[in-house]
Amino acid sequence: MKASEIKESDAPPRFKVGDRVRIRNMPNIFYTRTQNYVRGAIGTIAACTYKDLIPEEEAFNYDGRVEQYYIIRFRQKDLWEEYPFDNDTLQTESPEHWLEPV
Amino acid sequence: MTSRPELHQQYDLIHFLQPALHVPQNWNYENTHPLFQALTHPPHDVGGQPDVPVYHEEKEEEQWELNTYVTCEVLGWRGAWTAEERRRRADNDLGYTLYLGMPYYGRWIWSAAKMLVDKKHISLNELLEKIAEVRSRYESK
Repeated sequence: MKASEIKESDAPPRFKVGDRVRIRNMPNIFYTRTQNYVRGAIGTIAACTYKDLIPEEEAFNYDGRVEQYYIIRFRQKDLWEEYPFDNDTLQTESPEHWLEPV
Repeated sequence: MTSRPELHQQYDLIHFLQPALHVPQNWNYENTHPLFQALTHPPHDVGGQPDVPVYHEEKEEEQWELNTYVTCEVLGWRGAWTAEERRRRADNDLGYTLYLGMPYYGRWIWSAAKMLVDKKHISLNELLEKIAEVRSRYESK
């Protein structure tokens, strides 16, 4: 599907900047863009970015659904307890269905 | 969240499954022709290769194995794939890690699911959500 053909989803974004979310731990088969080390981790919404096809469907050229994408910010120390610096963060991108409210 | 010791254990296992680090790997600039032939060798063509002794045992087929067999046959009858495509997907396309690591019928059901996703009979997201739903149903019991 071409970007110009992507239908805007009418659903309002489920999360807003500052919300705490947990990354779901879905089965890891065939394709993913969700890193192993953030699954189950709790982070904060840093930005609501754009709406787009979800990776699990676009990767197979499946004419699927469009979702809100977010930037999620984690404390490095929350991901790696041996990490030496308190203030460092890591940001990653995820569509809405990978997130659950905390 | 997956406990960090558990996560490190998982990464160690993944590391264990990768080829031993005798030479630099991960996008080689050049491969010799014999290495190219070895890399592209289909994993199911095992004749003549060294292996550990295999012991004969009488193993009854388990219910999930029978279910897998029937599911794959029915997908054939309904025209979703042919027996040759099933063999190609379950033997040739898996790569060494899955071919050597999965149970025999594990390879069948893995390739049936992949075929259904590849041919858009189901979307990967539908499959993942369904597996997650069934898993949570079992965990709540």
